[in-house]
Order: sequence, then structure tokens, then C-alpha cells
Amino acid sequence: MTAVARSWGRLTLAGKILFTVIPILLLLTAGLVLVVVLFGKPIVDFLAANIWLVRFIVAASAVLLMSVPTAFLIIYMEMKVIALMNLRIGPDRVGPFGSLLSVVHGLKVLMKEDFSPTGSDRLVFTLAPVVVYMSAVMSLLVLPFAPGLFGADINIGLLYLFAVGGLTVVGLLMAGWSSFNKYSLLGGLRSAAQVVSYEIPLTLSVVGLLILTGTMSLNQISLNQAGWFTNWYVFQQPLGALIFFIAATAEGNRTPFDLTEADSEIVAGFATEYSGMRFGFFFFAEYVNVFIVSGLFVALFLGGWNAPIAWPEAWAIHLTFDPGSTGMGLLFALLLVPPILILALAAPFYVGRSSLPWWQALIIGFVLFNVLAIVVVGGWAFISLDWVAGLLWFLGKTYLFVFTFVWMRGTLPRVRIDQLMGFAWKWLLPASLLNLFVTALAVIVINPR
Amino acid sequence: MTAAPPHGQREAPSDDPRVQLDQDAGVFEPVPPYPPRTEREAEFYTLGDGEMFINMGPQHPSTHGVLRIVLKLEGEVVVDLDPVLGYLHRGVEKLCENADYHHSIAYLDPLEYISSLFCEWPGVLAFEKLLDVQVPRRAEYIRVLSTELNRILSHSLFMGWMALDLGGLTPILWSFIERDEIAEMLAALTGQRLLYNYLRIGGVNGDINHEFMSRLGDWMSRATNQIENNLGLLNQNEIFVRRMRGLGKLDKETAFRMAVTGPNLRATGVPLDFRRAHPYSVFPELEFDIPTRDEGDCLARYLVRMDEIKQSLRIIDQCIHKMPDGPVMAKLPRLLRPRPGRAYAAVEGPRGQYAAYVVSDGTDQPFRMRIHDPSFVHLQSVGVLMPGHLIADAMAVMASLDPIMGGVDK
Amino acid sequence: MSRLPGLGIAMGMALTLKKFFEPKATIRYPEVRLDVPPKFRGRLQLLYDEYGTLKCETCFQCAQACPIECIDMGGIDTKGRYHIHWGAPETYGERRDESALRRSGRPVPDQAYAHFDPIHPVKLEAILERFDFDPSRMLEILDATQAEYGHLPVAALKLISQRTGAWYAMIYGTASYYRHLRFEPPAAEPLAAATATARAGRETAFLAGLDASLAGSSRRRGRASAASRS
Repeated sequence: MTAVARSWGRLTLAGKILFTVIPILLLLTAGLVLVVVLFGKPIVDFLAANIWLVRFIVAASAVLLMSVPTAFLIIYMEMKVIALMNLRIGPDRVGPFGSLLSVVHGLKVLMKEDFSPTGSDRLVFTLAPVVVYMSAVMSLLVLPFAPGLFGADINIGLLYLFAVGGLTVVGLLMAGWSSFNKYSLLGGLRSAAQVVSYEIPLTLSVVGLLILTGTMSLNQISLNQAGWFTNWYVFQQPLGALIFFIAATAEGNRTPFDLTEADSEIVAGFATEYSGMRFGFFFFAEYVNVFIVSGLFVALFLGGWNAPIAWPEAWAIHLTFDPGSTGMGLLFALLLVPPILILALAAPFYVGRSSLPWWQALIIGFVLFNVLAIVVVGGWAFISLDWVAGLLWFLGKTYLFVFTFVWMRGTLPRVRIDQLMGFAWKWLLPASLLNLFVTALAVIVINPR
Repeated sequence: MTAAPPHGQREAPSDDPRVQLDQDAGVFEPVPPYPPRTEREAEFYTLGDGEMFINMGPQHPSTHGVLRIVLKLEGEVVVDLDPVLGYLHRGVEKLCENADYHHSIAYLDPLEYISSLFCEWPGVLAFEKLLDVQVPRRAEYIRVLSTELNRILSHSLFMGWMALDLGGLTPILWSFIERDEIAEMLAALTGQRLLYNYLRIGGVNGDINHEFMSRLGDWMSRATNQIENNLGLLNQNEIFVRRMRGLGKLDKETAFRMAVTGPNLRATGVPLDFRRAHPYSVFPELEFDIPTRDEGDCLARYLVRMDEIKQSLRIIDQCIHKMPDGPVMAKLPRLLRPRPGRAYAAVEGPRGQYAAYVVSDGTDQPFRMRIHDPSFVHLQSVGVLMPGHLIADAMAVMASLDPIMGGVDK
Repeated sequence: MSRLPGLGIAMGMALTLKKFFEPKATIRYPEVRLDVPPKFRGRLQLLYDEYGTLKCETCFQCAQACPIECIDMGGIDTKGRYHIHWGAPETYGERRDESALRRSGRPVPDQAYAHFDPIHPVKLEAILERFDFDPSRMLEILDATQAEYGHLPVAALKLISQRTGAWYAMIYGTASYYRHLRFEPPAAEPLAAATATARAGRETAFLAGLDASLAGSSRRRGRASAASRS
């Protein structure tokens, strides 16, 4: 016993963690295997009967996992793009071109003290970031990323998005109220006023489009815009698209409508008293919201996952080779090709440069092989799998819009709260109503039932 | 001696961290802990219906240093305000009175750390009046050249701050590029980047050198374009112009009553410039205009400053061409003992009138030194301009007056 | 502002996009360092002359002029004498109070000169009267003082500093520069050798005391300087 205790004491922290985690994992795996062996048939039957449940769980986990890297990427984009516009260099130390800096920020935020100020309402204070983040992630669920690649195809998808997006303001109000700080309170109230005002033109601007499409399912709306880029709704609803863009900027609290966290006026608005990972949740949610707003704009007005050009059927490349057909040969190829190719790619470096040790040449070969494999497999997937191409088009368009939001942040000053309100009620609302009537009239005139 | 607490209830030492953790950290109240000293204070610190205090500063992103303003808000509208000064007080006047005449110049420098040369200048001028020194003409030209550069530095930083207080991120960094070039130039001339300590009684510390001239020529060749380019981002921007126009209107009478000087006064339509009104140094020999605007709002104040940059460029150009040869320091003894008397000197700085009033009692230290700083004077007009506006506008008004807290608190 | 709404915003966006592709102004500091102008005054270093020896003469003018008294030094002056002007590092705390007093304008008892003998000031006052309290005629004043007293007592130097307004350190620097000026009374021939040994002994004792006071980490430095003396 003492010997065990002594050797346990000699272990480093990493070793202790490993030696605790590995047995637990082994136990769990054994349990899982046991369960599958004993009750495999009924479970499989149940899951097959309720395939929507499996799909939902997988999609929800995927969306939840996706939200954090998305936020990291957008935060990095914001840092770098604004820096370049400011004639700075921006992040350039952590990772290639500083691209890992936002990841490091995330880790830093995780390690900070979890702090709540005196006089705050602890429960509400803790729940507020959860609510905000939850609403952001829930909105991600209905975004159509690619044909067949979406969390859920709800037939009222657009309505669901607006409803869940409206939850954000509840979280911000909770944060502003519970922080026991007047700056936070002002920020929370501002966000409530702003979101309530801009929800209306945001929703009304889409109604014209809904008349055209006749459906609220985002998936269906994307499908309707297939073909050449002239089919995109931005050409049929230019005013609606403009109003939607402006209102979405306000909805996502982005410059020039970022009054809820106007740092030169009310220190950081609702986030003044937040620190550590609670602030991190707000921060992530904000950037996930940017992604959602951009993705929504793309899905509604810019053709979603559709390519701008409809390839004529004659140009399409069809690969006759199907890897699945090779059977056992595929297994052997998977086993043999990587080491052989790595060696083949490493050889020129080892032979050509005598100063290079063999292991460095191997590392170079390995990296080169990975790049090659990604290119080959990616190219194959792009050509023969529909959803890969769709995902690439969707993400490309979405990040173009994310770039636009960041670009606006780098250029524009902030508007005042009364100008913000006046703009929403005096200009955007009449314009969206006009858009609605004109669309309705045009539909009746052109296409009478 | 206080009575010992009973056994078992020994008072814990107040510096014990555990005790401090247990205690309630307390909530900061903007209301001062003492009973009101004046009627005005009593009136201000009683809240009406639906009003609240908000304590802005001394640590706030846009109070330009360590100004603290207690705002009385109704919703987001500023009803009343109470600026609390003195967080940066260093007793510069007293320090100068305990230092040699030469040494006090170094104390004048950090008053307004953006435009240090303008803080030195009135002091030096007043000392020269006391001592009756004739400054060499080359030194005068160098003084004008370096101070006009400093004026451009200050105004271009103002542009950035103005935009930053309105929420624009980019102009501050572009203007910092401008500022950095001028700072490097002045470092080549004076030996320091921020607190130059360059003007001396009877001249300047060192002639212009090759490095300064090459940097200056390089910069002058593209300065106009560069500044125009930077201005294009803001001057045409609808959001910026709409927010600034008609905001914080200061009319002539109020401006005079508030003793406002400099660009803030010129924005109300009064062409008062001490370079023309009470000419000092070689300004009578130089050609330049005095840009004025009639509106008196934040936009006018901003535009007057931007026009002044162009005039400063003109002055620099003339200085380079007209500069005579000769010494840059007058012959003076090491130890200065001016005759008993008093002197007053004022210069036109980027923020207004910088002045110094010196009384000498015949020793080698000034008997009394009084520094007039425009930031302090302009800050009092905040009380007239801010009430009735939103918080966001209050910040814009503050930024357009361009106070530097180092000069306000002295 | 133009007539067309939104045009200014669009122009601003175009400008920032143009700047996006322009060369950047950042200087990557640790790799790239800006050239410091030759006149730059912020250098904190001792300069060397063209023969590679330190230009510093330990005249203490910098230490005396430093407004917050952060400059301190110990070293060997031009005549080979070892000085520690302001005392050991252990006394820094006291000196801070002292300098606060000095800056507030109140008189401070100066520990460093307390042990020097006082002089009768009337003769010195007469000399100063003769030279009109003029600090620019310092050498003549010092010559006359030495003629009167036989050497330059520290008390006399302090009085000169007080009356003329020149810094003590400047007077001390002037006096130590000229070979004919001396700070101790001249000794007779047989006495000189005794004085020299006594002085050496005094210095050794002083260094030993210093050694003891700097015990610990700084012991080696004291020994090294003692070795370099002998």
C-alpha cells in the first residue's frame, strides 16, 4: 500500500490525470460494449424507429461544437482586418499570422477568476450569459449550411430564428439589471429599446420575400434560388435586402449600432461587471450572432448554398471511380499509401540537403503528404459530393458578409440613441412597409390567381 | 487610548486580508461623505423624481485622463453635472517657486503633455521679460517652427480622439501615425519625444540639425496629402456630421463670459488669435490666416482645428525659407537673478491662451509663478454645454473642447 | 456632406478598404529597432571617450541635480580618492525622507558633512565681498580662500556655495580639477609621510567598515575595490 502511495506521489500532475482518466475510460468502454452486446438489438431497433432523434442529437452537438471555432475565427478576423485597416499589423505572434491568438484569448478567459460584484443578483448574474449563448446556438440550428446539412428543417424556420434571436435581449437585460451597476443598467435598457425597435423592420423586410417564396423554411428558400445568380432574391427584393442588412446590423449590436456596449459612453454596457468565462460567453455569443446574421442574409437573399453559376450538364465532371467499389483493396491502399508517399516526399529533402537530419526530412514529408491528401480528398469530395461544394459556397458568402460587418466597424463612428430610434421608426419601418406593398402589388399584377 | 475589547472579541487588525475578504467591499456612491458645503452642492446632490447619479471617471475610457464628472441623469439625458478635479494635481506652480529659473522650465513641460512646447513658451517669455533678454532671431524662428509642428501634432491627435469618443476606431490610429512622425522629428531636434524641455531663457537648446531637416522635408512633401486623406474619412461621413452639427452650441457672449480662447472661441466667429492680437516672437513677419466659423457647435470646433493644421503648414514653410543665420542662444550668466518685478506673457496654443505670470523678488527662484491653462478654462463651459444632452453627446462635447487633464489639475 | 445620402459613408468605406492593402506603419519592435536620433537625451548610460575610458569624473553634479535623487554613485575621482557620497544602500530610505524635506524647501541636516570642522566665516565673507559674490569668478574666490586658510575647508566651500548660489558640486568639481587647490592643510616634510600613512590607514579602516556594512551579497564588490586600491 505504501509503495503504491509513494509511486502515486512521485507522479506529475499530468501523470495523475492520465492514470485517473484511463481507467475511467476503460470502465466506460467496457460498460458500453457490455450494453451493446446484451441489449444491442432493441437499442438499434429503437434508434432506427426514431431516426429524427438521432439526427437531432447529432446536429445539436455538432452545432454546439461548431459555435466555438466559428467565434474564434470571427474574433481573429475582426482583430486582423481592423488592424490592417488601421495600418497596423495586428496579431502576428501566436500561430501562423497570429491566427491562434483568439484561441489563446479563449483559454485565458477560461483561467480567469469567476467573479461577481457586491450587491449583484447572483442567480440572474450567472444565468444571463447562458441565456445569451443559448439563444445564439439555438439560432444556428436552423441555418441551412448545404443541401441536406442543417440541424432541423422546420417549416416555420424563419419565425423560429426571429423568436430565438429575440431571446438575446432577455439575456442582455438580465445582465444589465443584475450587475448592480448603472452603466450595465443603461446598456441593458439600450439593448432592449434597440432590439425591440429593429425587430419590426427586420421582420417586415422579409415579409415581401415570403410572399414571393410562399414558405418559411430556410431550406426551401435556398432551394428556390437554385440556378444562375439572377435567381437570387436580392435582385427581386433590393430594398428588402438593404433594410434587412441595416436592421440585422442593429440586431447583432454591430457598429454603427453598437450602442449596448458603447465603450466611450457607457463603459462596456451590460458586460461592465463581467469577467472570466462569463464575459467569454457574451463575447462568443456576439460573434456567433454575427455569423448567424450573415448566414441568414446569405440564405435569404444571396442564394444560400447555391453557386452563382449553374453549370451546364455537359460541363459537369463525373468521376467514374468510386472508392467503395475497390473492397479490400481500399483497406490495403489506406494502409500502404501514406507511409510510402511520406517516404517518397521526404526523400528529396534528405538526399538534396545533406545538412537536414533524417527526422526533420520525415516531418517535412509528413506535412507535404497531409497537404497533398487534403487537396486530393477535398477535390474528390468537392466534385462528387454535393454538400461539400454547397458548404464551401455558403461559408464563402457568409464570411464575405462577416468581413463587411468588420469593415463597417473599422470605418464608421457610432450613432446616437435617438438617431438610432428615429432611423428605425421614421425611415426603416415605412420603407419596409413600402417594400411589402410593392411586392404584393407586383405579385398580384404579374401572377394573378 | 480606546478601551480594550472584551476577551474573545479581540478586534482583528484591519490589514488582515481575511478580514477584508469577509467585509462587504462596499458600493461606491458618488455623493460625497461630508455634509454639503455650498448651496449649489446641496442642490446638486438631492435627487429629483426619476433622476439618478452616475459617476463618470476618474477611470473612464473617454474622460481624457483622470477627470471625474458626477452626472445627474434622467433616463439618458444629462440634467446637471458636477466635475470633480484634482486627481492629477502635482503643485507645478509651487515646484517652480522652489526651483531655479532654468529648472522651472522642466516643470512646465508636463502640464499639457500633448503640447509641451506651448507650456514652456509663456514661462520662458515671462522670464525673458523679467531679465530683459534679447532673443536671437534664429532662435525665434526655431521656436515658431517647432511649436507649429507641435500644434499640428496636437490637432491631429484631437481628430483621432474626437472620432474615438464617437465610436470610430480607425482615425485615432491614423492620426497617431501622423503624430509619431512629428514626435520623431521633434526628438531629433530637441532630444525627447514627449516632454521636450527645449526652449531656454534667451533662446533654444541647440540649433536645428541635419536629421531634423531631412525628416521635416520628407514629411512636408506628403503632409498635406496625408492629412487631407485622413480627413476624408470623417468630414464626409453622414453619421459623424449629423452627430456633431448643432451639438453643444456656444454663442459669442457665453464664450466671452466663460473666457474661452483659441479654436473654441474662433468657432463662434470671433477671430481672436494671440499671434495676431498681441504679436510675440516673429509672428508679425509671417503670413497666415485665422480660420473662423460662425456656428459655434462641435462640428465648427472640429473644422476650425482642421483648418488650423493647414495654416500651421504654411507657417512652417515660411519659417524654413525665412530663417536667418546666427546664434540660437543669447549670452546669459549661468545664475539668473532678475531684478524684483513682475512679468506676464501669453502665447496662442493649440487649445487657446497659455499664459504665465511671474513675480521676482531678486533671488534666483521665482517668488510667485502663476500658470494660466486654457484646458481648465474651457472645462468650465462644460457646465453650460452638457445639460440637456444625452450621455453620448456629453462625451462628444467634452472631446470637442479638447481639455488635457494635466493642464487642468496642474 | 454630399446631397446623396450614404455617399460619404461609402467613400469612407472605400478609403478604409484602400488602406487595407497599403503598407503598414507598425514597427515589429524586438526584431526591428528604430534609430535613436544622435541628440536623444533619454539614454541612461555612461559614455566612454575615444581612448575607451569612462568619461564620468564622479563630480556628482548629476546626483545633485537629479530632482528625485535617483542617481547615486561610488567611485574613484581624478585624484585617486575613493568616495561614497550619499552613503550605503541601507540608508536609502532615510535619504528619501531627506530629499522630500529638501524639495519642500525646509533645511535638512546634512549627515555627510556633519563631522567637518567649522570655520570662522568673517575672513571668507570679506573675500566674497571682494569678488562681488560672483559665481563666474569662482577660481579667484577659491584661490583667495586657500591663501587665507591654507587649504579649502569643506565648511568654506559650503559657505561659498550658499553665498554665490553656485551648486556645491560645481565648486567641488572646480576645486578638485586644479592641482594647486587642496582640501587638507599642507604638512611639513617629516609630517607628510606620517600623514600619508595615516590617510592610507584611515582609508583602509573606512573600507573595512564599508566592507562590514555591505556584508552579504555586496561583500565581493567591496573586496574588489579594496584590492584595486592597493
